[in-house]
Formats: sequence, structure tokens, C-alpha cells
Amino acid sequence: MNKHEIPGPPAWAQRLLKWYCPADSFEEVEGDLRELYAYWLDTAGKSEANRRYCLNVIRLQRPFSSRVTKYYSSPISLTTMIRHYILVASRNMLRSKAFSMINIVGLALGLACSLMIYLWVEDEKRVDNFHANKDRLYRVYIRQHFDGQSETGYNTPALLPAELKKVFPEIESATGFVKYFRLSLQDDVYETFQVGDIIHKMKGGRAEPDFFKMFTYPILYGSAETALKRPESLSISRKMAELYFGSADAALGQSVRFDGRKDLTVTAVFENVPVNSTDQFDYLMNWDAWVAENPFKQSWGHFGTSTYIQLRADANAAAVEAKIKAFLMKFLQGYPAEYKAELALAPFGDQYLYADFENGKPAAGRSEYVRLFSWIGVFILAIACINFMNLATARAVKRAKEVGVRKVAGSPRSFLIFQFMGEAILVTIFSTIIALAIAGLTLPAFNMLTGKQIMLPLNDVYFVLKLIVLMLVTGIFSGSYPALFLSSFQPVKILKGTFSFNARAITLRKSLVVIQFVLSLILLVATIVISQQINFLQTKNLGYDRENVIYIPLEGDLVKNYDLFRKEASATPGVKVVDRCSQFPHTMGFRAAAVEWDGAGLKSNIIFNMASVGYDFVDAMKLQIKEGRGFSRSIPADSMNFLVNEEAVRQMEIKDPIGHQLTIWGSKKGTIVGVLKDYHTGSLREKIDPLVLDVKETLNFGTILVRTSAGETVLALENLEKVWKKLNPDFPFQYSFMDQHYGNMYTSENIVGKLSNVFAFLAVAISCMGLLGLAMFSAEQRRKELSIRKILGASISNIITRFSNDFIKLVMVALIIAIPVSWFIMIQWLKGFAYSVELNWWMFALAAASTIALTMLTISAQAITSAMENPADNLRSE
Amino acid sequence: MKRYYLGELEELILLTIAILQEPAYGVNILKEMETQTGRTVDFSTIHTTLKRLEEKGYLGSEMGGATSERGGRRKRFFRMTKSGYQALRENQEIRNRMWSLVPPNLHLKTA
Repeated sequence: MNKHEIPGPPAWAQRLLKWYCPADSFEEVEGDLRELYAYWLDTAGKSEANRRYCLNVIRLQRPFSSRVTKYYSSPISLTTMIRHYILVASRNMLRSKAFSMINIVGLALGLACSLMIYLWVEDEKRVDNFHANKDRLYRVYIRQHFDGQSETGYNTPALLPAELKKVFPEIESATGFVKYFRLSLQDDVYETFQVGDIIHKMKGGRAEPDFFKMFTYPILYGSAETALKRPESLSISRKMAELYFGSADAALGQSVRFDGRKDLTVTAVFENVPVNSTDQFDYLMNWDAWVAENPFKQSWGHFGTSTYIQLRADANAAAVEAKIKAFLMKFLQGYPAEYKAELALAPFGDQYLYADFENGKPAAGRSEYVRLFSWIGVFILAIACINFMNLATARAVKRAKEVGVRKVAGSPRSFLIFQFMGEAILVTIFSTIIALAIAGLTLPAFNMLTGKQIMLPLNDVYFVLKLIVLMLVTGIFSGSYPALFLSSFQPVKILKGTFSFNARAITLRKSLVVIQFVLSLILLVATIVISQQINFLQTKNLGYDRENVIYIPLEGDLVKNYDLFRKEASATPGVKVVDRCSQFPHTMGFRAAAVEWDGAGLKSNIIFNMASVGYDFVDAMKLQIKEGRGFSRSIPADSMNFLVNEEAVRQMEIKDPIGHQLTIWGSKKGTIVGVLKDYHTGSLREKIDPLVLDVKETLNFGTILVRTSAGETVLALENLEKVWKKLNPDFPFQYSFMDQHYGNMYTSENIVGKLSNVFAFLAVAISCMGLLGLAMFSAEQRRKELSIRKILGASISNIITRFSNDFIKLVMVALIIAIPVSWFIMIQWLKGFAYSVELNWWMFALAAASTIALTMLTISAQAITSAMENPADNLRSE
Repeated sequence: MKRYYLGELEELILLTIAILQEPAYGVNILKEMETQTGRTVDFSTIHTTLKRLEEKGYLGSEMGGATSERGGRRKRFFRMTKSGYQALRENQEIRNRMWSLVPPNLHLKTA
């Protein structure tokens, strides 16, 4: 009888049986049923046999019949198994120390990097977000529209906060705030306080009585209600209290002399402002008294201070924003019809990360760096994980026999996956511990670099939980592929010795290496471009010479003694020119549409950068004159005349600027005597604006500029101090350098530059470690092949090239992918600057060349050792 | 003292295994039971009962050697344990004792 004709039981029933029958009793049950089936066939016929067979199969499926019985139940318990796995894992690690080192150290470095970046990012996000009421705190900003242009800024009228609070019930509290008390000096300014003999310059500001109720700056002594209430109120930080009174508790109620002219009473001592607050201040004083002292602050048209508000808990921010939108216009009289100023709200906590404005809304700013670094952190961790995967799969050959024996001995696949995943997690745990140690050791340096006070928050439960999650995710991610790969081996093949990697595994490993190098190359290019841009910012010809210029505050008696000071100081050795400016010339923030000229027509609303300077400003700044002349003390009319820059001429569209009539602020009429070559009056992120300068040597605000002879700064400072002591004895002599101020404008770029240097270096280092591991492995695998080549006459250089080529090829592929990607990314980044370096081919070439060089360096050691080996040693064993 | 509970089917299976001269496994137990009792028995019932008896410790089992019969599936052979035998004996004793107490002139109800 033909074998196929033997009738068997229905296939579906057999499958059903196989599916649910417990594995330990399946064999005999199926056997018994088959035997019975044959018996039924003989006695009752095919259909009856089928019927009985199916019936029995179904009946066997009893949900409550015991499946507990384990005929093969293993006497080995789970804990023994785990202990065994750990033993095997540690033996494997110890047997190949180099690989394990590369694995653990690479992963640890990657983890440490991501950990630091994570801490930095978290810290950045916490800036200004530590206030208890943070969800209800908003900052008011103004959008101005005129002449088809618009400008958005945080500066608001000083009267605005109180008025807002009065009119809108949804606004629970409101305060004005100003750090820069001196008009237009948009940089750190110090004020003088004196108690007895103790006299210091401190940094602080003015705020309204609601201030301490709104923000979480804890008050140590005194109360939030009275801290800023009276005109003579003075709230000081613990640091300032300790400086003047020895201790924080002794300060309350004490009298302090301010600016040599006014006695204040300490009404509150608050805890030092944390570093992650944008507003840094050591004292705060009464708002109304300050507004009263500065009449221009009482004007609604003067936008010069911040407005912070706190909404009622039930208020809707969007609704409030809509309500206050047109509020300001009521107070702005006599503006052209097309001029519009709208109020809007931005969450207070966003002012740090989203400081820039784009299309009238807060945008990007530092948050871009935060995003950038978050990506870098992920990149680096990915590179480290890829290392791990690659090395583990490469070393699979070594473990293949183990897998084969395990499978033969009855280990199911799930056990093997568990084992290899477990090993990966074990390595990750080691790495995490090392990473924590690295992070702990390098944090002080990291803090120095970034100007932060980050600590490892190991007592923070959430942090520890996140760390554990990160550890598990990393372990599972990096262990997933090796675990699935290793456990898929067929024991017969392995044990027969015919095992080899299939093409897919090799391709995957190669593409992982490529990905790794793509990521490193992108980081490398980014680093080069960023450092070029920073270098550009620092060395760009700004149109003026910022070296050898000293700023001296214009304060106290110097306001009325300025002319005397100028004369005496310029006569001393070391000092070349003494002049003044109503703003810091390196960052002029004051802009207004206050210039009229003949033929202005509709263009009269151009926003000008405006400053009042002394007669010798052009010399002091070393500005270049394109047409006409600078101001001159010997021409009396110059006190009414103006200097403009090229951009102003361009925007005003006047043909013959010299001698052209201008009127500023509707009252000061004069002519243009000179056109200055465009120079940068602010950060290079901004375009050069039209500029108008006039002469005012009697203003009670601004800064003194002193140009010193190169190399004689010390001498100049000594002499300046002498003159100062004579003319302004009540104030300590204070000075700062223009180039330092200028450098401070790019602090965040500098930090980003340094950080990206460090991280790009580490990324490349980690990639190379992985490559080293692969090279070592490859050398081991190909030992015999290379030896045979050598016997057949290959030269050492032949072998080295052959060996290196595989790796170089991968790096080449990575290059082809990485260059366009990084080009695209860096173009985007540079768009953020009005003035930036051009992307140049050499930047990419440098990144490429250094990567290739490093690759060569990494593998050449292996290649040379392999090539130099005596073939006899490698071949005699078989 | 530990009490032995045996269901009717359990008792019959134990007895069948005791009767069988050859090593007992699913199929020959089923067939022997059918010949002895004259009623059809389900294989699935036999299988589950055997398992239960093994769990109770009344039966022990081991796999037989590989054969070419029945698709190469091995048989599981069952043997009674000491406690299985005791349970069976105890059942019998209880019945014997009770039978001995049944009066000879039992009055039966006519249907």
C-alpha cells in the first residue's frame, strides 16, 4: 500500500492537540491516540474513527485538569541558573579583558556624557522656573508696528504694572522690575552703598511692593509686605547683609547710605538669589521713589523697564492677553495713526530659554542650544550602544559553541535571550557606576566651564528612577540585537563547525559602524563650524577698536565735574582720549523713531539707534569717517549737529547727507556734519541699524570711555584713580574693559563652543574605541588568512592595506552620508546670526581628514601586528 | 492516619493496572477496562484520571523506549505505587466490612 494512502486522523485535530497539550505529556498522548485511531479504523470505520479522535482531542482540553505535573521538572532552581549566568558572564569578561574594557569604558563614557548633558539640560530648563507661582507668572512684552515694520521687546513703561493691576481684576499682582538702573546702559551696572567705613559697589535693582509676594525669593528677616513699601525701603540679600553687618540677622532696621546722597533702611533680608535665576540682584529698592527721581520714567512713551504680573488662579492667560492687547495705546498720545503698540504675555519661566523674538512672538533663543545638546546626548549614547552591539555580535563566534551546547542540553531560546540580555544589562550596570564616578569627578570642571552649580542629585528619587530606566533602556537596546542574534544559531551547524556569519549579520554590523561614524562626523563638523563662528565673532572687525578702552561709570560728583575730569585725565600719561557716551557703545540698545528730516514723507518712522556722545567720540572709538568730519570742540555749532552712519543715509534715502537738516525728538535741530562707516553697535546676531549721534556732555547718565595707550593700561589706571579720588571722593573707583564686556555678550556661544568641542572629541573617541575592538576581532579572525597570504608572498604593506581597506571603506561611506547632512544642519544654525562665517569646503575636509587619520591610527596598530606575525606560529596548529 | 479517597473510575483504573500482566499504558488500560466492564470508556477520561492518580502518588510512570510503531511516539508506562495499592486495599476492606453488615434477609422495595 502506498504510504500516502494510510488514512490519518484529521490534521486540524492534530494541530489542536499539539497546541494545547502540555509539552510534557504531548508525546504519549499523541501516541496513544494514534494507536487507538488505528484500532478504531479497524473496528468502526474511518468516519467513526475520525469522530472519536476529534471528540477525544476536544475532551482532553479540560481547563481545570491539572497541567502542574512536570514529568521533566528540572531540579535546578532559578537562583542557581542566575548564579550560573553571572558566573559565565564574569568568566567571559575576564577571558577577553581588552574587549570587556572597550565595552565597559566606551559605554561608561557615553553614559557619562549623556548624564552630564541631561543634568545641564535640566538645569537650563529650571532657570526661572523655580518659583512656586510659576504657572501664573507672566512677563508683559510690547509689539510695535509702524511703517510696515514691527519690533518686539520686553521693555515697557515704568507706569504700566501698577495701571494694569488697577484696571484688570484678573491680574492679582504686578511689579515693575529694573536691573539696569542707569538709562541705556544695557549691561551690568553697580551702585554704591555705605555703612560706616564699609563701602562697596553692589548689583541690584528696583521693584514694586508685590515683588516678594509673587516670586519665590525667600525672605529671611522682615516681611514680604513691607520689604519694598516705603521710599527708603531697602531689601538686601543675605550676602550683602553679611558683607555690611557681619550677619544676616543684624541687618534689619539698620541704616545704609546709598550713592552718597540718600539714607535707606533695611526692611528685609532675602536669601541669596539662586544662580538659575535670570534676574540677579543683591538689593532691591522702592519703585515709586526711583520713578519720581527720573522724570523720563514717568512718561508712557518711554519703554525701559520690565513688567511682571501674576494672574489670579482662575484667570485664563489667553483671555487676559486679548483684554490687555490694546491697553497701552490709550496712553500714547500724538503718535502717527499707523503706529500701533500691543501688549502681550509670555510665561515668566520662558524668558531665559526663549529670549529672542520672531514675528512678534518669543522664540528659540537658548532653547535651541538645549535642543542641540539633547540631540548630542542621544547621539553619543547611540554611538556607545552601537559599539556594544557590534562587539557583542562580532564576538558571537566565540560564544557560538556555548550557545550550541546550551541548546543541545535543552535550553529554550527564551532562556538564551534572557541570558544575553542579562549580560548586556550587567555590563550597563558596571558602566553606569563608572559613568557616575566620571560624572562626579568631572562635574566641578564642567561647572567651571558652564558657569553653573550642578550637582549629582543622587538623593532625588526621580533622578535615581530615571537613571535606572536609562540603564535598563541602554542595556536592553544594546543587548537586544546580540541576544536575538546569538539565540538564533542552529546548534547542529555550530557544533559541526560549519558556522559562519550570514551576509545579513555582516551588513548590519557594517551599517552600524557607518551610522556611528556619520554621527561622529556630524558632531565634528558642527564643532569646527561653531568654533569658527565664535572665532569670527571675537575677531571680526567691528568698525571700531575695542582693545584698550576702559569704561568708568559716570556717577556722583563726576556728573558735574566731567569736564574737569576729562581735561585732567587726558593730560596724564597712558591716557590717550577721554570721552563719554550715553550708552555702552558695544551694545547700544536704545532705539527710537524720533528723527525727522526734509523729504522724510512716509519714511519718518525709521527706527534709529540713538546715542549722545562727547566731542572726541570718533577718536576714542577709532571710528572711520566716510564723508565729512567728526565733532569738534572748536566749532560751537557742533553741539547741535549730528553724525550718522552709512545705513542711516541708505534708509533715509538722501543724496547729499553732509549739511542735511535733521530734527530729533521734535526739538533739536541741526545738520549732519559727517557720515561714519557702518560699525557694529550691538551683537553680531543683529544687523547694523541706522545710527544718529549728537553731542551732550552734561547728561547725568552714561559711561566714560577712556582710550589708553597700548601696553600702558596699568599706568593709565593708576593715574585715572588719582584723578577720580580727587574729583569724586565719595565713590570707590571702578572700571571695566570694553573687550571684556564684548566677550560677555557671547558667553553662551563660548560655552556651547567649548562643550561641543568636548563632546565631539568624546564621540569620536568612543567610535574609535568600537573600531579598535572590531579591528582586534578581525585580526584574530583573519590570522590564518593573512598568514597564508604572507607565505604566498604578500608584503607587509600589502597586508596592512588589505586589512585597513575594509574599515576605511566604511568611513568613506559615512563621509558621503555625513557631509550633506551636516552641511544642512550648520546652514540652519548660522542663519541665526546676521553676520556669520561662510561654510567652507575645508571645514568638511578637516573633519573628514581627522576622522580618517584617527581611523588609520586606531587600526594600524592591529594591522601592523597582524602583518608582522610569524606565519608559522599561526598555521602550525592545524 | 491518612485517608485514601478513590473515585469509582480511579478504583477501576487501579484495578485494571493491577490485573494487566504486561506494562500498562493508556491504550491497553482502556481496552482492558472495556473488556472487563463491558462499557465504552473515553480516552480523554482515562488520560486525565491517570494524571490525577499520579499527582496523588498512587501511580508512578516512566517513558518507554523508542519504537517504530505508532508514528515513533513513545509510550508512558504506569505502575502502581505502595500507597496506590494501600488505597485500593482500604477501599476493598471498607466494602467487605460493610457487606458483612448487610443482613441476609434484606428487604427490597419492589419497583
